[in-house]
Amino acid sequence: MIRYSFITILLLLAAFVVQQFLPAFTGLHHSRILLVQLVFLCCAVTVGQPTMLLLAFMGGFLWDAQCALGPHGGDPEVYTQQVENLRFGYSILLFGGMGVLMQGIQPLFKQGKWHFSALLTGIAVLLYLAAEYTIINFIRGEFVLNPATMRQMAWTAFLTMLFSPLVFWMLFRVANLCDHSINPEAGRKRRRPR
Amino acid sequence: MKPLNLIALLLFLGGAVWALTRSERTVREIQNAYYQAITPFLKSGSQLETRARLFTKETRHSKELEAELEATREQLGRLKLIEARFRELEYENVQLRHALDFKQTTRFDVVAARVIRRNPTTWWQTVEIDAGSKHGIGTQLAVLSNEGLVGKIDRVDNSGDRASVLLLTDEKCQVSARVEGSPEVGILSGQRGGFDGDPMLRLRFLSPNAAVRNGQRVFSTGRGGIFQPNILLGTIHSVEKGALDSEALVRPSVNFADLGAVFVVLSADS
Repeated sequence: MIRYSFITILLLLAAFVVQQFLPAFTGLHHSRILLVQLVFLCCAVTVGQPTMLLLAFMGGFLWDAQCALGPHGGDPEVYTQQVENLRFGYSILLFGGMGVLMQGIQPLFKQGKWHFSALLTGIAVLLYLAAEYTIINFIRGEFVLNPATMRQMAWTAFLTMLFSPLVFWMLFRVANLCDHSINPEAGRKRRRPR
Repeated sequence: MKPLNLIALLLFLGGAVWALTRSERTVREIQNAYYQAITPFLKSGSQLETRARLFTKETRHSKELEAELEATREQLGRLKLIEARFRELEYENVQLRHALDFKQTTRFDVVAARVIRRNPTTWWQTVEIDAGSKHGIGTQLAVLSNEGLVGKIDRVDNSGDRASVLLLTDEKCQVSARVEGSPEVGILSGQRGGFDGDPMLRLRFLSPNAAVRNGQRVFSTGRGGIFQPNILLGTIHSVEKGALDSEALVRPSVNFADLGAVFVVLSADS
């Protein structure tokens, strides 16, 4: 269990590295594969709450370190209505929220129905992007939502979801290597004599 | 709730509050540490992206020709910038000699850089360039192309050979702008969520009866302390008049979809 949790942390860190190699698909409304969020979501459904929260903190913290913009700069007398930055650390709460959502269907995952979790990763990513965009609108004012942004969010969620079976497969392999069962009820059902 | 879960939740919330209350300076230090740690991966990542881009271009050109063309473009852009600047200075000089008999000394020093990564984040419109503090680049410097203003430097890596550019098409990049041939001045910025299609810029805070028309060029005023004056920003696309102020949509002069070489202005105009 400890070994498995430790590996999930390493996987999340590795996802940050791989994310650097994944550019936006300009032909698909600038959508992208959010590998960091995907690995976190898949791990969140396979671990206990304390580990999930640790992963959420790390994921959100590093994601903000990667994406935060600098201060506005310039003369405030000329730029009187400066565009606000999102506060560093907001992603920690978003990651935590997504993790809680994933843990909600942990009983199904433990029964071996990982497909639901795979589907939920897409929904969670969509909700994550929608929440992030809403926060941007809330902080900067003037609610703007155009079809292009909606398409960008939908495609990003869809593309990310497509890769969730791969991440789940990897997590099953890691769990086997660590002698740890991430869906014990499914294992018991398989072993039960007919 | 199990005691362990409760403790974990409290620690998580405490950590989140700690992160949310960090100062701008601490955030920059955290960012620098993060980028320092992933610099080796970033280098190979951007190399891959550049190679992929070149590979698609190679269907039309050989690699040698491509490199030569890129170098020539860089040189041409640089010369165009210098030429434009000289013309402007010449004009200014004549005006000043006639009017005030005033002598002005101006330094205009640029560093050429290549775009090595595009849109690395979901919501912000940024690119990364292959020049940094080693080349004298710092934050809040104007970035130009031979077509006009590209944006400003937002972050410089500790490694010294990379920097992040906040594009003019981002909502957060604001430029004090004037409309050519009119007394109108306003603040130009990108639009939120304007990724798809041709990006448009918003020129706000124009007077209610702004006498501007489509096709007029928009230049920077030089006020605000970041951007030099008379940099071409774009052309007026449409004007929307309001009761208190007017707003214009501006088509940027730079083709942001095809950004290759850019120039960072090192010395601010006096």
